[in-house]
Amino acid sequence: MSVKQQSEGARKKWLLSVDGWAVLAAFVAALLIRAGVFKHIPW
Amino acid sequence: MADTIALPQVRPAQPSLQFLRVIPGVLLLAAVGYAGKLLEKNVGAYARAHHWTFPNIEYVLWAILIGLAISNTVGVPQIFRAGVATYEFWLKVGIVLLGARFLLGDVLKLGSVSLALVAIEIAVAIAFMTFLGRAFGLRPKLTTLLAVGSAVCGVSAIIATQGAIEADEEDSSFAIAAILALGALSLFTFPLIGHWLHLSDHAYGLWAGLAVDNTAEATAAGALYSDVAGKLAVLAKTTRNAMIGFVVLAYAIYWASQGQAKTIGNKAAFLWQKFPKFVLGFLLISVLATYQFFTKDQITALANLSRWAFLLTFAGVGLRTNFREMRKQGLRPFASDLIGEVVIAIFTLGLVAGAGKLFGF
Repeated sequence: MSVKQQSEGARKKWLLSVDGWAVLAAFVAALLIRAGVFKHIPW
Repeated sequence: MADTIALPQVRPAQPSLQFLRVIPGVLLLAAVGYAGKLLEKNVGAYARAHHWTFPNIEYVLWAILIGLAISNTVGVPQIFRAGVATYEFWLKVGIVLLGARFLLGDVLKLGSVSLALVAIEIAVAIAFMTFLGRAFGLRPKLTTLLAVGSAVCGVSAIIATQGAIEADEEDSSFAIAAILALGALSLFTFPLIGHWLHLSDHAYGLWAGLAVDNTAEATAAGALYSDVAGKLAVLAKTTRNAMIGFVVLAYAIYWASQGQAKTIGNKAAFLWQKFPKFVLGFLLISVLATYQFFTKDQITALANLSRWAFLLTFAGVGLRTNFREMRKQGLRPFASDLIGEVVIAIFTLGLVAGAGKLFGF
């Protein structure tokens, strides 16, 4: 396995799919709201 | 589903560089979406102040129209494309956060109604699209892609199936173009038909979630009708999305048996790989809301954050829809899909009307 392939593999290991990132972002936002960091989100 | 015919897929780069590359496009999504919100507020107020008869156009439609105008006139410059393609990410963030507005009991009740309707819709849509594909003399794998796109969940289903059945890039471009063109059409026709038939918010939302193929367009078509219809459309569409793995697996097994695709080894792993993970996020947030992990004010904040995420999605729907590009893909797949979609829309409307009588909505 070349160095390039190894680094590609390593990157793929921690990179999430769009779904994974979306779920992570939504939960981080939900936890920040739960913790009171963002008290009011206007619309 | 970030890669569409109008906007090429983002090429892998260093994560930090990728992050920088999306910023201009995300800012464009925000600007278009916010302009839609401002227009909703100000155009209506201006028309009322001048005693004009002007329809109340919601921010959803304004955002889509502004996006369509940009995409189909000056086009989306290269610098914005990577960021505009993130509309799929914002859609999924919005759906997960929307889970906070559903109590688990509602999800289970409405979800089980949706699941029964989705199962019928998928069976009928696949059978009818396969028949149409043969009648129009389309290539068998193109017929499969159109059937999966119409039955399950639009572009993401087509992309998932393309890999599993080893279909040509050309076939998948045809199928994606047809699904996107009809998705754009449904944004304008579904709300009009819904109002004309005086459908309740529940009935319309279920119908949009069952009949509109792409998740972004189904969400927009629901939100164009009302807030409640938007919620129901997302729930029905999410139920449909959850079926993607089973349908793709069935087609992969069929094409492998024909010697035209590789055999699936671990079927459970295949199902998990194809399962849309944002559905689990949506359910988990709903469980947390049901067990009062969030206060009432926090649920309002989460619901508003979900609306902001959807605002970026609606802007992206307009910006990535380029009718000139779609026309290049040819008429036959489009005509076949159009007939199929009309029949599926009428059939699902009947299904929803029947379910409405049975469950009282």
